[in-house]
Amino acid sequence: MSTLDELKEVIINGNAPAAKRLTEAALNQGTRPGDFFAGAIIPAMDEVGRRMRECEFFIPEVLIAARAARASTEILKPLLAGDSSVRPAGTVVCGTIKGDLHDIGKNIVAMMLEGAGFRIVDLGVDVGPEKLVDAVRREGADFVALSALLTTTMVNMKGAIEALIAAGLRQQVKVMVGGAPVTESWAQSIGADGYGKDAPAAVELARRFIAEAARGMSAARRGAA
Amino acid sequence: MNSRERVLAMLDARAIDCLPAMPITMMFAADQIGARYYDYATNCRVQAEGQLRVAEKFGVDHVSVISDPGCEAADLGAVIKFFPDQPPAIDEENALLKDKTLLARLKPPDPLGGGRMTNRVQAVRMLRERASKDKLVEGWIEGPCGESADLRGINRLMLDFYDDPEFVRELMDFVVQMELCFAQAQIEAGVDIMGIGDPASSLVSPRFYNEFVFANQKKMIDGIHALGARVRLHICGDTRHIAEGLGRVGADIVDQDALAPLDHARRKMGLQPVLLGNIDPVRVLREGTPETITTAIAECHRQAGPRYIVGAGCEVVRDTPEANMHALVRYAREHKPSETRVASGR
Ligand code: B12
Repeated sequence: MSTLDELKEVIINGNAPAAKRLTEAALNQGTRPGDFFAGAIIPAMDEVGRRMRECEFFIPEVLIAARAARASTEILKPLLAGDSSVRPAGTVVCGTIKGDLHDIGKNIVAMMLEGAGFRIVDLGVDVGPEKLVDAVRREGADFVALSALLTTTMVNMKGAIEALIAAGLRQQVKVMVGGAPVTESWAQSIGADGYGKDAPAAVELARRFIAEAARGMSAARRGAA
Repeated sequence: MNSRERVLAMLDARAIDCLPAMPITMMFAADQIGARYYDYATNCRVQAEGQLRVAEKFGVDHVSVISDPGCEAADLGAVIKFFPDQPPAIDEENALLKDKTLLARLKPPDPLGGGRMTNRVQAVRMLRERASKDKLVEGWIEGPCGESADLRGINRLMLDFYDDPEFVRELMDFVVQMELCFAQAQIEAGVDIMGIGDPASSLVSPRFYNEFVFANQKKMIDGIHALGARVRLHICGDTRHIAEGLGRVGADIVDQDALAPLDHARRKMGLQPVLLGNIDPVRVLREGTPETITTAIAECHRQAGPRYIVGAGCEVVRDTPEANMHALVRYAREHKPSETRVASGR
């Protein structure tokens, strides 16, 4: 088994110390920082998502796996900073909506997106429109991921999107929403770009947005030519 | 047959005039008497008033002292955030046992020591005085996993299962001891049935449920039975993966959320436990019509069979139309336990 394969295994099993050790070992063997993502971290977190959907993994398992993935990315991040050939897949500003303190689901979404190679700016819980707008502007976000677990707070997602429009930032970001009471039709009705029923769906959505943007860009280029 | 007799007869498998109805009401009850939720959660008089109003106006068979999960944590010294018209919330970031070593120094609060727990005991006493000729009086405590999450912070507790199982065991030991003491005070004040809410237990695997949670839930339930009260075990979320254990743990009523269908529960738990629930509180009870609610409850009844109590999967949410709440209880009044296939559209 290659070191990256081993790394993938220990991340799935939530062994953070081993993930740290194997990341260092692979670096010493000459693996380039950028190769860890496609080679171990992303497939590991995809597998964690699959097991969560199949009810093989529950919240503790998902949280320790995400922690192991983070043990690896913490080492890689500073090394990647100088490497212009590897850019994060995009920047996601995420948070639980105003009035809502539930964050387990949001944390898992953030960790899976991070595992999938996105840069995460986590605003925490009880996130109001001003805080969101500030972060999107400051961080040059590409995506916004909002979570709500209460029927009384999901209405605040609408206000958040309106604030992005008012600030002239709506075109810059794709907004995805989720959380137990949220539905596809609700997401559409408030003008979100996507709804995801679980954390793997958040990753699928973000990847789809990127693919669509790429198609849109090549179409635009063809149009210009 | 009055409400109290009806529920007790159901639990004892004696003959009964019609199905009981025991939906959980908190914010709905506060709104019914025009009270702010802060007052409802902190003032036993207001709570008793709200519960009596709901029981009388809608014909619900019980009155309850459930309000929020922060009573015990508050008396232990945890930071609780209060809001004018929302349930109090525990400050998870600054949870009481953020530092695990503090557990060794923690002492169970005196339920009659004048704190939030005392307020709840007094609410029991008031409801006993004013309602017990007719209604069943329900107490409330937190379950082993839920209260452990409240004290440690739920995100931390989830990691502790792997990082420090010994700590989890000690914490749950402490919780069971504290909750039984709280239960005793409520039972002495006049509780017929003790509600145990253990929401966090739906988040862990069957392995962890069996290894850490089951035995502690059982200890609580056996302890309450020994004190002379019945038990309603309520768990939010999807409990399908732990259904088998929930069936064996000894609760008189297993009250599960809308995510876990009752036919599944019946298959896993056998015929003994009374099942309560479990229409979706939002999508069906709040957003439905009397007709769709009647149909949905009839389906729950069909799946659960005769040992069944009408209710929603979780708390009846704020802004639930009164006609919908009436429809819920009407189904109970118009059906005997054995009349499971009658899905009348009235
Ligand atoms: C844990 C919990 C709490 C904890 C929260 C701790 C924390 N740090 O999160 C505490 C005790 C604080 C709490 C408090 C309350 N809670 Co609570 N809580 C729960 C519980 C048990 C679990 C929620 C959870 O974490 N699920 C696990 C995660 C992983 O699932 P998830 O969040 O849905 O996330 C997944 C997907 O939805 C999706 N997802 C989530 N976000 C996003 C975002 C995007 C962009 C995408 C794509 C996907 C996505 O991906 C996630 C992973 O797959 C649920 C019941 C249950 N078992 O479901 C009730 C529940 C959510 N709570 C409820 C209530 C009512 C409350 C209180 C009002 C209770 C009270 N009366 O005191 C307070 C409100 C406090 C507040 N202002 O927020 C109700 C909500 C009812 C409703 N529909 O409005 C529930 C459903 C229980 C119930 N059946 O009544 N709660």
